[in-house]
Amino acid sequence: MRPLSIAGLAALALLFALPYWIIPLIADAGFWQHVFVTIFVYAAMATAWNIVGGFAGQLSLGHTIFYGIGAYAAVLLNQHFGIIPWFGMLAGAAVSAAAGVLVSWPCLRLRGPFYTLSTIAFLEVVRLLAIHFKDFTGGSAGIPVPMFATTATGMEQRIGWAWMLFRERENTVLIAFGLLVLCIAVATLIRRSRFGYALLAVREREDAAEAVGVNTTRVKLAAVAVSAALTSLVGSFHGIYLNFIEPETMFSLATAIQLAMFALIGGLGTVAGPVAGTLLVVPIAEAARGWLGATANGLHGLVYGLVLVGIVLTMPQGIVGALKPRFALWAGPAHRPPPAAPARDEARARPPIGEPILEARNLTRRFGGLVATNDVSLTLREGEVLGIIGPNGAGKTTLFNLLSGFLPPNEGSVRVRDASGQWVTPDAPHGFADAGVGRTFQIVQPFAGLSVRENIMLGAFHHARSRAEAEAEAERVAALCGLGHLLDLEARSLTVGGAKRLEVARALAMRPRILLLDEVMAGLNPSDVALAVELVRTIRDSGVSIIAIEHVMAAIMAISDRIVVINSGRMIAEGSPEAIAKDRTVIEAYLGEEYVAASA
Amino acid sequence: MEVLPQLIVNGLLLGGAFALISIGLTLVFGIVRVVNFAHGELFMAGLFGAWLLSSKVGLTPYLAAVPLVVILFAAGAAMQRFIIQPLMDADPHIQIFATVGVGTALINLALILFGADIRTSELPWAREPVRFAGLSVARGFLVAFAVSMVATAALVLFLKRTHLGRAIRAVAQNRNAAPLMGIDVPRIYIITFGIGSACVGLAAAVLSPLFPAFPTVGTYFALTAFVIVVLGGMGSLEGAVAGALIIGLVDSLAGYYVAPDLKEVVYFLIFLLILVLKPAGLFGVRGSE
Repeated sequence: MRPLSIAGLAALALLFALPYWIIPLIADAGFWQHVFVTIFVYAAMATAWNIVGGFAGQLSLGHTIFYGIGAYAAVLLNQHFGIIPWFGMLAGAAVSAAAGVLVSWPCLRLRGPFYTLSTIAFLEVVRLLAIHFKDFTGGSAGIPVPMFATTATGMEQRIGWAWMLFRERENTVLIAFGLLVLCIAVATLIRRSRFGYALLAVREREDAAEAVGVNTTRVKLAAVAVSAALTSLVGSFHGIYLNFIEPETMFSLATAIQLAMFALIGGLGTVAGPVAGTLLVVPIAEAARGWLGATANGLHGLVYGLVLVGIVLTMPQGIVGALKPRFALWAGPAHRPPPAAPARDEARARPPIGEPILEARNLTRRFGGLVATNDVSLTLREGEVLGIIGPNGAGKTTLFNLLSGFLPPNEGSVRVRDASGQWVTPDAPHGFADAGVGRTFQIVQPFAGLSVRENIMLGAFHHARSRAEAEAEAERVAALCGLGHLLDLEARSLTVGGAKRLEVARALAMRPRILLLDEVMAGLNPSDVALAVELVRTIRDSGVSIIAIEHVMAAIMAISDRIVVINSGRMIAEGSPEAIAKDRTVIEAYLGEEYVAASA
Repeated sequence: MEVLPQLIVNGLLLGGAFALISIGLTLVFGIVRVVNFAHGELFMAGLFGAWLLSSKVGLTPYLAAVPLVVILFAAGAAMQRFIIQPLMDADPHIQIFATVGVGTALINLALILFGADIRTSELPWAREPVRFAGLSVARGFLVAFAVSMVATAALVLFLKRTHLGRAIRAVAQNRNAAPLMGIDVPRIYIITFGIGSACVGLAAAVLSPLFPAFPTVGTYFALTAFVIVVLGGMGSLEGAVAGALIIGLVDSLAGYYVAPDLKEVVYFLIFLLILVLKPAGLFGVRGSE
């Protein structure tokens, strides 16, 4: 186990020991235990929020919808049907997960502030409905948690473990802490899993995430469902704990903002951040309130607001984010040193060109009046390198987007032979990835905030089942692409050449059977171009079929078995590199008719 | 029964009141490209300002518009200069958090200073009804509607005709090319944020006789303004006015025909539909989603 994890567990143990054993020895236990229950509840919900807001980068300010649903489910089932809150809790979690998926599904394609606004709007709708349907919810008057109920056998006292209601506070400390541990455990598991990396990829760059085979909609919805269910569990407990629930406090925008705020202050996207943020801010606010007395109504809110603005301006990565480099130094290197670059198996012969593996038929794509791709058909054979050339604006990248599912064609279709030999026609980028198509982007799309290693791992997770497997694959591919010494660098700090190599490495780590390379040599200096040519040949020799768009003529002529020439969206020539180099229409398209006339 | 015409008139007048708050929000979004989640709290501050000026200084609420416009311009400019400007290149989430933080601080500051009580700027004249053609409307709403329309027209003229206005629009079109034309982009942002906030100051003064001040009053108006601005298209002044009139009508009609406590549900549902189906809004500007 890493030193940081041990430190984290020790801190958690202390956090529990304080209200449960230590403080009762020296001070008024009741007050402090209440403070700690509050801290645990908020820390647990901030941790749950962070799965959506931090990991997946979808800033929800409506998360109290799930808190409220949890509370109402537990209390209403108790009140009307005498169902114990432990079951009510599970029912609430199920409803919340479903509600989360339902409300997020139409909103997830909204970006930035628009997604946030939609979550606020949903929260308002739910709150107003909860007030309106008073027969069901008790309306704005609220409902108390029943302590007694009349049953066939007389009055029944609903207190004790079964009913989650206690005369002693210790037990509530225990449950609240248990919920916090649950949330932290789930967040930790997600952060270290393939799913967690997929969420990070979505946060950093959705297009690139799709290209490495992440079904972005599905992982976002999964994150919302998990986060909503956890928030709801905590809400059920807290509703019972508060003894009284009403729409204003349960579906509160201010509380929803606080959850997000705690996570941000601690550090978005880190596991420890939300807990650290809650631990820092709640006591400061409580202390300020205790110190200035009850007259200072609103003081804790003022503290929250000011701390938030201060943190955002001084350390937007939050406390944990800002401290991490120092801790990492203190805790020693987190990663073992990368192994030496594996020797290239020079001797391997190039496999022969085989059967078709990708076929495009009559592809046409229009943007308004512009026909960017006009009736293009092409076939890629197994083990072949197909070059695509054409002047700027010819429609090469549009063709690539059609071949990899990023654009649907207006007419025509693309089919791919998958690993089992079946022909398939996927309808989304991640579907093409699943069929074995990897691609790079002409305008590089690194997951900028992640390290080179993590970027390549995201590609490797397409087939790797464990994190260790993905890491090993990342190191192997990085060495192959000349990135071995840059593994721990943040992707945004790479040079142009480095970023281009990272594009290739990430696609290669997916172990594609078909690789689409979009101008990976543009902007490179001559020695880098030579390296890139060598790399493409190595990839080809490992049995990958390649389609490459390139402007560097010498390079494309050297690597291609066959070349297709595109101009104004149409295919104007196809043939061997030698034939294409002499083709009159091609020279015209590139250099103009005068050149042809002059040199004739 | 002349219910429907009365409801329509009420709705349009209410829309006029909403418009004045919404144009500031949409202007800031269109130019600075930041959604100011503290916009409603600036309005709340304006309402308290109007109440202080009328009850403590004895200024008629309408006259309080002059100092309020100046004060809120300064407050908005300061907010842009010291909080948003350093975060211009940060992740949009960080900007949202920054404005949310300012909003939270302002609500609670008001709670500390004034308590949770309702404070009304006294101007009985504004609540007296004017009757014509069987309809009855409060004078205050007529004033608010008129001020709103004049202010929007003035703002549009300012943006279209003056040198500064053209510079502001140039920044909105391309913030990278604008400095090449000698435009001081950070200064434009500060001025724009100031103008957006000043609109709210004007709105607060004009609406103070009709709407009492209390710390969380801004949330209601801000949410309504978000709905309006998204409906009209983020960044479009004309869209904000049209959106405000539509939402005013929806408010008035849904309050009568659906249920008074569900009228907001109706327009939040419209809001969600617009977000999902046509995120650029009815009069949306390029790339605003």
